Amino acid sequence: MNTSPYFLLVIGALAVASFSCRALGFFLMRYVTFTPRVSAAVQAVPLAVMLGILVPAAAAGGAAEWAGLALAALAMKITGNDLVAMLAGVAVVAFMRMQGG
Amino acid sequence: MSTRQRSRTAAAGSESIGTPVGKAVFTTAGVKKGLVAALPLAPGVLVYGLVFGVLASGAGLSALEAVLMSAAVYSGSAQLAALQNWQTSHALAPVLLTVLMINARYVLYGAALRPWMGGLRVTQAYPSLFFLGDGNWALALARHEQGEHDAGFVLGSGITMFVAWIAGTLWGRLGSNWLMHSKALGLDTMIIMFCAAMAVSAWRGRNDFASAAAAIAAALVTYQALSGGWAIVAAGLAGAATASIRSGDAKKPPAGSP
Repeated sequence: MNTSPYFLLVIGALAVASFSCRALGFFLMRYVTFTPRVSAAVQAVPLAVMLGILVPAAAAGGAAEWAGLALAALAMKITGNDLVAMLAGVAVVAFMRMQGG
Repeated sequence: MSTRQRSRTAAAGSESIGTPVGKAVFTTAGVKKGLVAALPLAPGVLVYGLVFGVLASGAGLSALEAVLMSAAVYSGSAQLAALQNWQTSHALAPVLLTVLMINARYVLYGAALRPWMGGLRVTQAYPSLFFLGDGNWALALARHEQGEHDAGFVLGSGITMFVAWIAGTLWGRLGSNWLMHSKALGLDTMIIMFCAAMAVSAWRGRNDFASAAAAIAAALVTYQALSGGWAIVAAGLAGAATASIRSGDAKKPPAGSP
């Protein structure tokens, strides 16, 4: 498998979106400044988006996914290392799926 | 805001050392200095690229596709969200909006660089912004506060990060052909586990509770009504709107703000 025209179209659109963000603030600062409201909104996005990814996955999943997510979050809290946290969560899911059959 | 305060101090700092205001410096020596200065950040970026490469493999992307995405989007969390979207549906709109939201922080990053790079030629400033990442942005601003005038530093440090990101992606993708579609090992949950870790590290304290709750509620409703891709968009918007409203409440409510 290499790629498809549709994938290239998507990537092209994402590239434009991504670069626009990088260029826009620099460009706009010629004319405006950013209010605390805008900054607060932008800074809240990372957490909100991560939750937006997690919540549907957790809702669609079962006990294995929930236990994995809980342990991943706990491991992150304790170790502060996101790779360790990811592997811990995945290990729990693998273990529980094996138990389940 | 911290970013703006930071850029103001940075601008003041450079004036005090006697750089003519409005005259931007951009030299090859500055680019080289940036290339070298960002080297300590490269291993970390390489590892994250590796992780993305592995996850891309799990999501069914070819090596070419993974590298194209890393080069074109060049933002770890945005690519992660895009992958998660891509696994469930190939619709363009939710992925596009998600990338826009996640990369909205670059609007602030770019704004913070204006005082330093505002005098550059377009052909110097915008390529530098293309290679801008979280790590080299922070590094460059810190160096600028210490008196670095040469904006070539921003481009140079960005290129080092970019090369590490692409190399990591390719390595991770090529090294993980074996794990395509291996559900038994729980590898299909790698993205969400990584997101759980990132959510924990993105949590800044009790003040985030309201926007987090709004994001979760929005995701639950949207996920059932539309799809997982739109749930990401809805969660991001709900969280951002809540934080924005609360920031206004904390001070005096500004009249007539949007």
